[in-house]
Amino acid sequence: MNFEHRQLDNGLTIIGEVNPNAQSTGVGFFVRTGARDETPEINGVSHFLEHMLFKGTDTLSALEVNNAFDRLGAKFNAFTSEENTVYYAAVLPEYLMDVATLWMQLMRPALRDDDFNIEKNVILEEIAMYKDLPQFEVMDQARALHFGNHPCSHSVLGTNESISALAADQMREYFSRRYAPNNITLACCGNFDFETLCKLAEQHCSEWNAMDTFRKIEDTKGTLKTKHIANTNLVRQHICLLSPAVSMQDPRRYAASLLGQILGDDSGSRYYWALTEPALAEVASMQCESMDGTGVFYSYICCDPDNTSRVLAAVQELFEELCKNGITEAELEAARNKTLSALTIKCEQPMGRLVSLGFNWVYNQEYRSVKEDVDVIHAVTLDDVSNLIDQLNPGKFTMLSLGPKTI
Amino acid sequence: MMTQKTDIYQLKNGMVLLGERLENVLSVSFQFLLPAGASLLPEGCCGAGTIIADWLFRGAGQRSSRELIQALDRLGIHRNASPSAHHLSLTASLESSNLSEALDLCADIILRPQLAADQFELSRQLSVSELQGLDDDPRQKAMILLYEHFYPDPLGRPAIGKLDELNGLSFERTAEIARNIFNPTEVIFSICGNYDFEAVKHQLEKTFDRPSHGGLSAQLPVMKEKSYRHFPTEGAQVHIGIMTPAPLAASDAYYEMAAAVSILSGSMSSRLFTEVREKRGLCYAVGANYKTLKDHAGIACYAGTTPDKAQQTLDVILDQFRILKNGISDDEMQRAKVGLKTSLIMQSESTHARSSGIAADHFLLGRIRTLDEIREKIEAVSVDSVQEFLSNHPFKDFTVVTLGPKTVTL
Repeated sequence: MNFEHRQLDNGLTIIGEVNPNAQSTGVGFFVRTGARDETPEINGVSHFLEHMLFKGTDTLSALEVNNAFDRLGAKFNAFTSEENTVYYAAVLPEYLMDVATLWMQLMRPALRDDDFNIEKNVILEEIAMYKDLPQFEVMDQARALHFGNHPCSHSVLGTNESISALAADQMREYFSRRYAPNNITLACCGNFDFETLCKLAEQHCSEWNAMDTFRKIEDTKGTLKTKHIANTNLVRQHICLLSPAVSMQDPRRYAASLLGQILGDDSGSRYYWALTEPALAEVASMQCESMDGTGVFYSYICCDPDNTSRVLAAVQELFEELCKNGITEAELEAARNKTLSALTIKCEQPMGRLVSLGFNWVYNQEYRSVKEDVDVIHAVTLDDVSNLIDQLNPGKFTMLSLGPKTI
Repeated sequence: MMTQKTDIYQLKNGMVLLGERLENVLSVSFQFLLPAGASLLPEGCCGAGTIIADWLFRGAGQRSSRELIQALDRLGIHRNASPSAHHLSLTASLESSNLSEALDLCADIILRPQLAADQFELSRQLSVSELQGLDDDPRQKAMILLYEHFYPDPLGRPAIGKLDELNGLSFERTAEIARNIFNPTEVIFSICGNYDFEAVKHQLEKTFDRPSHGGLSAQLPVMKEKSYRHFPTEGAQVHIGIMTPAPLAASDAYYEMAAAVSILSGSMSSRLFTEVREKRGLCYAVGANYKTLKDHAGIACYAGTTPDKAQQTLDVILDQFRILKNGISDDEMQRAKVGLKTSLIMQSESTHARSSGIAADHFLLGRIRTLDEIREKIEAVSVDSVQEFLSNHPFKDFTVVTLGPKTVTL
């Protein structure tokens, strides 16, 4: 494995991890923009814009774009979060430069009115789809509750109202501000030639204009509020807990991620023994989500509505015990090993590496090899995790429950 | 480029071991396919497989429930146990250096589960909860209902169970089933990644070469009439499931069928995505897949849409199935072929995907197809051969299920 890095004059960053033994190659554009960079009037525009990129350029129609990807056999898609919009494709090595060229063209989309109006229906269908999936709905609502006035409270999809009212011009204006080259990283993993990729980028991307792409960064402890939303159509109680964690820039994020696993992995964790194993809840998970300048521990629990108060009592007892006695070396070792095996499995395919490679750069402008990640996970000590528990106090959380039971 | 060597060995008791080594990985994935799928369960025991999949991990060999989970976690094993129509499968992925210990733990879980009565009640309760939770996941529920109505009984029985049968299962009855899941002539073990086949063979010979526990016997499947069923629920969307019969994986027409499915729904330039979502904006999610059991197969399609668009969505989808035989272009064919080949090569990089692939081949075809063979067969598919397939096997006899606030008409 060999790491390469280059920056064009307009600020576009190109990074690559070259592995000549790989059978495939992954390539992606990481745009540092998402729901947190929106105002309430344009809530949902980042995600809608992600859909619109597939609608083509001044010289390519939507159908031509899809045909072009498929002619290359590309496994391609995109996702939008609170703070990133990522476009990616995995292809066989012989098609890499073609698929990269296609993405470079699509990064300057036409954003036609007709396409915008049809795609608006698709977005409204997507919002309706998630309304029928309470496990997503509860997370969206809980995030809004926890983050309060912090921009990370913004919903990624937006609402029926915000999307219905959105105009194509508002999207064009947002695009021109956020898709500036200095806000974008082009990352590539697998079997490819870095120089050829850079030449392509110079050819297709050097005309893009740099802009001021400000993002307000601040940490938050969260509102720590509790809220219940009654929905008698639901059969289960869906509970989401959010508490402050550490950011992507914080070196303690490895310890925080292990703590999340110790508390909320689907097997052998504290949640497992307190909630799943005794059949109080069929799902109980927790993970650490580190973001730009902030972070959260996020728990999701799904249970019989009649078990809700027992579940919440068990959760409270669990956190009291955690704060009092900490965790054991055996728990830490299991979490380390689970994380390490997940890492080796993910590294089987270049596409598995692409997202880590890209995000390490987006957040910290650094390259981390798999070996470095392995070493730092091995180096996390019991003290590191104990200190984190003291500093973050994960037993104090924002809680949102959604279901037939009003508590 | 993709030439690979397949390891095959049969234990004296009939259990089959399959393996494929991958270079340049540090991981290994394996799976046990145990002949205890939902279709093999006795009458009145629907869902017993889900209970057993949880119960097996609540103590095995000398280890208590807690000790067993701790032992598995210490090795960092990512595992899953779940029932399908034919099998109860136990899969695991991990760092190669822990393989031997992981296999020993699996031997305890499969051959020496403790099956304690108090743990049974907890496993049953979780299975009941999981089934009830399906009501909050209408998309998945629609597809489970679709398979139940498409496949002959008992092959379509929901592995997740039925409420009255889950509640009616006794500890004794379920324990008896759990003790019969190891019928070695029907067990398939497959492994892929970084491993030493001689060592694996030797270890499994020591641990698994033992006589049958009896086994479960298959019932003769009873065909169902193809029909439309609606399940009323309150919700934002109507969830539509559509299924039509298709050739088996062993059929000569398999690759033509695969190309046809790919043209319909393999990607974003495919017919369904283009006509339903891109041109008309009817859905966010629409797609079709090939679904096969050993002797019955179909193409299953899902679409979720708001109530006012449900009828049009169904009409457009059925139309796309029907008009495929009217003509496909060279360009569509090329895209389908390159898509199928790329999926194949990428799958060959994943230890989990490949260990499932070789086990499925052995079960469905009685042999393992090499990646080269599959690639050649994909290459050989042409517009003419797909057209011929479509005129001989027109898509018809649709089974349709809807779940949501509004019905449709076929």
